[in-house]
Amino acid sequence: MSGVLDPTIPPDISEQTQRRRIIDAMVESCADKTYAATTIADIVKRASISRTTFYKRFPNKRACFDGALDSCIEVLRATAAAAHSSSDTPVEAVRKAAAAILELMAARPALAQLVMGDAITVEPAIVERYRRLVIPAMEDLWDKAGEPKRSYADPRLAFGRAQVLVFSKIAAGRTARLPDLLPEIVYIALLPFAGHDEAVRQAQLAGDGAGPGGPAPR
Amino acid sequence: MTEKGEDLRKWRLPRGRHGLPREMVVRSQRERLLAAVVRVAADKGYEATSVADILEEAGVGRESFYELFNDKRDCILAAHAVLVDHLEATVRAVYEEPGPWAGRVRKSLAAMLEWFAADPAAARVTIVELAAVGAVSRKRFQEDFQRFTKLLEEGRDDRGPGRPQASELAIGAGIAKLYEEVVCGRTAELPSLLPELTYELLVPFVGEEAARTEQRRAAETVAT
Repeated sequence: MSGVLDPTIPPDISEQTQRRRIIDAMVESCADKTYAATTIADIVKRASISRTTFYKRFPNKRACFDGALDSCIEVLRATAAAAHSSSDTPVEAVRKAAAAILELMAARPALAQLVMGDAITVEPAIVERYRRLVIPAMEDLWDKAGEPKRSYADPRLAFGRAQVLVFSKIAAGRTARLPDLLPEIVYIALLPFAGHDEAVRQAQLAGDGAGPGGPAPR
Repeated sequence: MTEKGEDLRKWRLPRGRHGLPREMVVRSQRERLLAAVVRVAADKGYEATSVADILEEAGVGRESFYELFNDKRDCILAAHAVLVDHLEATVRAVYEEPGPWAGRVRKSLAAMLEWFAADPAAARVTIVELAAVGAVSRKRFQEDFQRFTKLLEEGRDDRGPGRPQASELAIGAGIAKLYEEVVCGRTAELPSLLPELTYELLVPFVGEEAARTEQRRAAETVAT
């Protein structure tokens, strides 16, 4: 049925909001004191829910963290996908997606911290999951454009490299300056697929036209 | 346990009226506690490590422990500082030898990989377990990151058309690869990664061709 008077409030709305609040609390607490130091009591307090409610939604702290991580990854994926269009060349698409992701993380420091910091330490295998999301998507860009794709360096290392760079900015308390890293991230991302010279050229372009942060400071 | 897994308790000083200066006794206890916390944390993870485990491994009493450290976190952070100092000194000694810059980078990288491979427990604690210590680990990470970036930067003799933040890129590549290998339990095989990492570290500075040349040299040293 699809009438004007169809109910719009889903019956599980309270479940969804509770889940949302718990996840937000987990993300904030990890940003504040790291996952290792976060307790269920911290989350319960931040989310203003009862311990019983917590356990109705998640069996334990780790499951809650995994839920939070899934939700953060989905936000990042959607942001990257929305940042470029099918008419962009592969390198343009990479540049735009990288810029959008850095901007998003600068605006949402707790999300950045979770994805680039705690997630790696809680579940080292997460890097593999990130790669499975990103690397095929990038290869796809080259395939669709019908451009020759050479393998210059191992793209798997590129991912860890970008993560360390971003995390070091976050650890220095400079999350808001993440967009400064755009030239470096563009370089890292393109090196495996396009080689050093092209990666340098694109990094230069990214630096010239960088967002509010301007080119990377020396 | 580690390859250097001899019993730390063998290093206990004699009990009773031995007439040894107090500083020496304290130093011996401290050394054993630092060695112990690294072994235990590498073995069962920092979170699961208790002060009792550290005492047992070190052969040191609880009271002596608390005279030296506030808690297990304090103890592991002290051990981490000693390890990173030693690593930096090791790498610096090689890096500051005379010779062309790219070659010195390759040799320093080799020294670093060997340092980690020689002591998997130290590798595990400095690279992986530090994060379990809590928020202070972020500060430590950042300090260590800057320390090695600065070391690399200081020794550069050519300020050619490299990427502006090439040093960060280089250290980032090193840490990322180390982390992955150590987590996967491949610490002992780290030295075999020298050619690949030499290329990754150098390419932002010197470009494709020169980085490949140095990679080939690295492959020759690994093969022999």
